[in-house]
Amino acid sequence: MCIWLPHWPAQRTPAARPGLDQRRALEELAAWCRQFSPLVGVEDSATPESLFLDVTGLEHLFGNEGSLGQTVLDALQRRGLSARLAIADTLGAAWAAAHFELPSPLAAENPKELPSPLAGEGPGVRGLVIVPPGQSQNALRFLPIEALRLPRDVLQRLHSVGIQRIGQLDPLPRSDLALRFGPVLVDRWDQAAGQRAEPIPALPPVRVFRVRQGLEYPTARREIVESILQRLVGRLSEMLLGSGRGAVRLDCRLECQACVRAEHVPDECLQESGGHSPPYEAAEFSVGLFRPSASPEHLLGLLRMRLERLRLAGPVTAVSVEAAATAPLERRQEELLDLDGGGPRRWSRRLLAGLVDRLASRLGRGAVLRPRLLAEAQPELAYRYDPLLSPSSPTPLPRRERGVLIESVSRKAGQVGKRLAAAWDWPPRPLRLLGEPVPVLVVWLVPDGPPLHFSFRGREHRIEQAWGPERIETGWWRGPMVARDYYRVETAAGQRFWLFRRLADGRWFLHGSFE
Amino acid sequence: MYTICGKSASMLPGNDDYPNLGIIRGQARGPLVEALRQRISQLEGVRRPKSDSPLSTGCDPLDQLLPGRGLHRGTLVEWLASGDGSGAESLALVAAREACREGGPLVVFDRARQFYPPEAVRMGIELDRLIVVQAASQADNLWALDQALRCPGVAAALAWPEKLDSRTFRRLQLAAEQGRGLGLLIRPEGVRQEPSWADVRLWVRPLPAGEPGVGRRLSVQLLRSRQGGGGSVEVEFVDEARVVHLAPPLARPADPRRAAGA
Repeated sequence: MCIWLPHWPAQRTPAARPGLDQRRALEELAAWCRQFSPLVGVEDSATPESLFLDVTGLEHLFGNEGSLGQTVLDALQRRGLSARLAIADTLGAAWAAAHFELPSPLAAENPKELPSPLAGEGPGVRGLVIVPPGQSQNALRFLPIEALRLPRDVLQRLHSVGIQRIGQLDPLPRSDLALRFGPVLVDRWDQAAGQRAEPIPALPPVRVFRVRQGLEYPTARREIVESILQRLVGRLSEMLLGSGRGAVRLDCRLECQACVRAEHVPDECLQESGGHSPPYEAAEFSVGLFRPSASPEHLLGLLRMRLERLRLAGPVTAVSVEAAATAPLERRQEELLDLDGGGPRRWSRRLLAGLVDRLASRLGRGAVLRPRLLAEAQPELAYRYDPLLSPSSPTPLPRRERGVLIESVSRKAGQVGKRLAAAWDWPPRPLRLLGEPVPVLVVWLVPDGPPLHFSFRGREHRIEQAWGPERIETGWWRGPMVARDYYRVETAAGQRFWLFRRLADGRWFLHGSFE
Repeated sequence: MYTICGKSASMLPGNDDYPNLGIIRGQARGPLVEALRQRISQLEGVRRPKSDSPLSTGCDPLDQLLPGRGLHRGTLVEWLASGDGSGAESLALVAAREACREGGPLVVFDRARQFYPPEAVRMGIELDRLIVVQAASQADNLWALDQALRCPGVAAALAWPEKLDSRTFRRLQLAAEQGRGLGLLIRPEGVRQEPSWADVRLWVRPLPAGEPGVGRRLSVQLLRSRQGGGGSVEVEFVDEARVVHLAPPLARPADPRRAAGA
């Protein structure tokens, strides 16, 4: 497929991205076109106006070639670009069909007038041409010789001997053609006719997903910053979508003018002071995602939530957003195959991922947690919280902490937890465990016996029943050994608490309550 | 007068439908109250899909106590705990376990950082369906709770909201209605008299176990329900519920009275 964007320099609105040359702008568009085809290239010419897409075997994804072309055309239209599309057997034929009006019907013998180049008609040309398979060579015959993308001097020589139409080359001996007009003529002709391969000058895949916009006039207004962010995220998500990836972490950077210094200190002084006082201060933040996403609304929502709470040092001079970590986007099909089984909530996993993203974005990654059980006798160490969002900047756990007992594979964590819970028939643990055991005054009668009475938070509790002791002696490898005698107690009012006596000094502590 | 959490009598059908509303103080009280109650539950039921079967609380006597024979998705349930170690949380967790059966996680909003996951797992909460959120501030906590209730992927949310003004409460209720999860709020018994937007308000008080060998006994009182009803019930945790193991596996229980030489 060839996409011809007539008068490309005029079509792209240069005001949107000043300082970007035509070719770079076209390459950006080509990257955006990756959403239609995995292989996209820019025309190899001094003033490129065309993109090449390899659409072999893609048409069934869109229905047929016609709807594929229409999809691309509509998407370009939404970007405010008018284009003429052609789908043909070869690159050359597609280019020719995009740039020149084909005679209709193709079979007509010797149409009188030569198709005029469409380029003269201004940038408004748009349309879709599909050359049926196997018809390319036939179609080319009627097109002017310019349709072969020949260098200017070759064209002039051809015109001077009266060759206007590609079909006129047919009866001429090929060796003479190559000798008189250079090998490029024969090459292009063969390539257009499909007798010689012509590779698409494909763009390298995008690796860095970064967008940035500077402001000519710094602004401190948040609405403006937000709308810039919205535009940037839109562009970023196009880049991501084009390469089939989703962001796992977004880094956002707002460059702010440090107002005091920038206004009163002349430039020389700023340069002198060098690294000590940069002319701007940057506010940076990053947002992690639970599941890779390229949806602009979702990404923007996450960034906006952080932006709300950000204190800006001064007017913003530039905004940049980078998808610092990306992962392949999961396709829709996977969401249907829900691991939770086909319940009424089988479509909700994506919503859940969105929830986790939102929570972690506002509360911080360390606030949205997944518990994991550890085989530890000391109650407060028998579990560990892991952030639900896996760290995208890999900070591996210390080897010691990774745990010999528990696999660090998150998938298995649940199963291991279940196994631990089943295998360990520990006595009941309280549902509420105090982070630090609280010293309490306890009355007991027998030296190593159960408690009879204790006071906690200003309340006196008479103990009616006690179960225990459950002796826990562990942790000598962590420092001083932990040795405790735990009692479950029920007070006269029926409340249940978890007390222990520290064996080292006989002091009593409250460690939790059975809520 | 039958008033339900902020709905005043003016929202009840007008006098055309019930010309004898004044009789409510008189002799025909029983049938009329019943009729009004049905009308209210019809009005309330508009928001609730007809096919929505009630969720069990995981505890039969409690289900019998509730007017809908269970809890409903998309509602809030208040558990008023009387003091520390009352057992309200255990009951709430059992209800959460039932709510999680159809998929979706339980989100626990543990701002006090005292929730103990190993015991929750033992009570039958699946570890990979447990998400714990530790917010730094109360405002963040309520915001996060609202978000979780609003999310259709969440089966149940368990929280200890410290202070709940009426507006926030109403917002949470609307969020639960939207997400169709179960919102379990554990609150101190001091808020008994405060207005509530919860579907059900239950007051959990521990009962002293009479003799050793009996499971933990709790009294649950239905303080308020949108569909009417009331009363209280005594429940006891038994082994099969995987809530509390009675026999201490490591050591023989020492009877304090005997130990004390009494």
